[in-house]
Amino acid sequence: MKWLPVLALKLALLMISLGARAELTIEITQGMDNPTAIAVVPFAWQGPGSAPTDIASVIDGDLNRSGQFLPVSRSDMLGLPSVQSEVYYRDWRAIDTEYLVIGRVSVAGQMRIEYELFDVLRQTKVHAGVVTGAVSEARMLAHQVSDAIYEKLTGIRGAFATRLLYVSVTRVPGGNDYFRLTLADSDGARPIVLLESREPVMAPTWSPDGRQIAYVSFESSRPAIYRQDLASGQREQLTNFKGLNSSPSWSPDGNTMAMVLSKDGSPDIYLMNLASKRLTRVTRHYAIDTEPAWMPDGKSLLFTSDRGGRPQIYRYNLASGSTERVTFEGTYNARARVAQDGRNVVMVHQQNGAFHIALLDLVSERLQVLTATDLDESPSIAPNGSMVLYATKYAEQGILAAVSVDGGVKFRLPAREGDVREPAWSPYMGR
Amino acid sequence: MIGPLSLMARAQSYIDVEAERAAQRTGSEVAGEVTGAPSNTSSTSTPVSPYGSQPAQSYPATSYGLNSAPAAPVSSAPVSAGATGGVGAGGQNLGNLFYQIQQLQQEVMRLNGKVEEQANELRKLKEQSLERYVDLDKRLSGAGTTAPGLAPAPAPSASTAPSGAAAIAGSSAVEQPGEGESYRAAYALVRGQQFNDAITAFQKFLRDYPDGKYAANAHYWLGELFLVVQPQDLEASRQSFTLLLDQYPDNNKAPDAMYKLGKVYFLKGNRERSREYMDRVISEYGSSGSSAVKLARDFITENY
Repeated sequence: MKWLPVLALKLALLMISLGARAELTIEITQGMDNPTAIAVVPFAWQGPGSAPTDIASVIDGDLNRSGQFLPVSRSDMLGLPSVQSEVYYRDWRAIDTEYLVIGRVSVAGQMRIEYELFDVLRQTKVHAGVVTGAVSEARMLAHQVSDAIYEKLTGIRGAFATRLLYVSVTRVPGGNDYFRLTLADSDGARPIVLLESREPVMAPTWSPDGRQIAYVSFESSRPAIYRQDLASGQREQLTNFKGLNSSPSWSPDGNTMAMVLSKDGSPDIYLMNLASKRLTRVTRHYAIDTEPAWMPDGKSLLFTSDRGGRPQIYRYNLASGSTERVTFEGTYNARARVAQDGRNVVMVHQQNGAFHIALLDLVSERLQVLTATDLDESPSIAPNGSMVLYATKYAEQGILAAVSVDGGVKFRLPAREGDVREPAWSPYMGR
Repeated sequence: MIGPLSLMARAQSYIDVEAERAAQRTGSEVAGEVTGAPSNTSSTSTPVSPYGSQPAQSYPATSYGLNSAPAAPVSSAPVSAGATGGVGAGGQNLGNLFYQIQQLQQEVMRLNGKVEEQANELRKLKEQSLERYVDLDKRLSGAGTTAPGLAPAPAPSASTAPSGAAAIAGSSAVEQPGEGESYRAAYALVRGQQFNDAITAFQKFLRDYPDGKYAANAHYWLGELFLVVQPQDLEASRQSFTLLLDQYPDNNKAPDAMYKLGKVYFLKGNRERSREYMDRVISEYGSSGSSAVKLARDFITENY
């Protein structure tokens, strides 16, 4: 293994937060028709001074962003209970609250959050739980509480305690632009710049355990695929072939990386055994084969190819070696990503000249266009399959936006500065 | 910087760009070959079209390996000439060959796409026809077992069984084969002002499809038609509107039929019954926004 030196002249590898500079803000543009009213009462702080993080407001934001819940404003609350004995259901019924969350936060070395969820109409406690962790991870602990509440009330595992990778570009007029590979919480908070370069950084992707990432960087003046360990920051250059080295995609078992190389002529899909670095060529076609994505069972790969004259999604079966076309609707379908259920596939779909994000159900073969904006690209699906994150243009700025898989809930995550592109939603980060 | 940036743009959406570029490349390469050629061989100075006669002239047909014996030596010659950096006819021919291969590749890709799409269409059609067959089979076998059971039940004769109105209303949602056509033909007669023929057509329609989807509309038109033909047939008109109201009280034609019925009674000289119906239109459909309500109000202010 050749671990590269971490620093290069044109490149600075930073593990520090840039604070609000690259932070994403969230604007909800479309919610569900009948969201569930839920009140998250400010959690009681049982420690010295004032609480370091407003846990309840993080939970509020998570539930609000899902579009399925409408948090009750604090100014409407008739009381601020933190233990069950202080809960008066009629106070909450009076302001049409359906569910109530209360909690307490304490710190003894580690932060400990206790929380309780009540059904106001039935006047019962639905759920109670405790999460503990480092004080610095307070927001992540709050996201874990959101996950538990979301799962209890919707039956779907929450995906708030997950993270996002994205590339932000700061334009420098007359000079080299800045490319930053950024890691942030699923709500866009706590951005950390993993890689800063004056050469393009592209195609960030996650290992299935969420501990490593891979991406394409042009720092050596031509594209090369790197993988990087998030905890240690250690990097490894995986490829340095002539021509394209792009679209890394980790196999579900974590042992193999699918990628696109053009070293043997036109771009084709290859598999690299990450232990031995041995390459296996998957496609062999004079057309362009690119953007591989693994099916969750690891038995087949989706990829984009123009072997039929126009870019469409194909599926390669690793066992049989057979290739079949998957998309037939529309003149352009590219960059597929598969939900964990192995059934829903999101992709870039061209319709009437505009590029939208569409969802294809592989079983019913029904294709649904999810977005109404024009230049949508790079869809990435949440680990619980509920939301799709994608890049688009808004007010001349490259931003991230999200849409629920039924198209009902939409929100934008514009950066305060620069263009943001190529989001990659992490897998579950373990419980 | 320009290099990597343009590369990046290419990698993000390079499929289209690549295809366009390939098209441009092939075009310019051929142009280059053609313009470069004249200095060497005057015979090749005319513009070369990819499928034109030019390649056949410079290359004997055998060079494509179409004829058996001379194919190998002749076709190998330009390749070696090109490989050793030789310019002139050999290089130009190689360029043509390259261009032709690219053209063939693109053509194959296009055809490939067509084949894929047609195979998919075929698969879908097969699935659909199987579904249709299964559905038909089910209905046929279903008809065999349920028809005898149906027969003793009171026949849903629209004109004689007001008690069966609910059943008729229930079944009236389903359009029967040929029904729409027959109805539209009758309606066309109304529009063509052939009122007597229209009456005959609607009466036949009701005999053919007594519980059809458009039965209520047919009754309504009959009621209207009996009022406009010469001589007017007030009693027939009254019966048609009454039938509609009795059998299809929930039909969207009901408010109009009720208003018309009031009018028919008025024409017959029965002011009280007329007023009753007009009042009923207002009280029963007042909130429905039906235009009949306004007509009824106007009628009352004018005549009472």
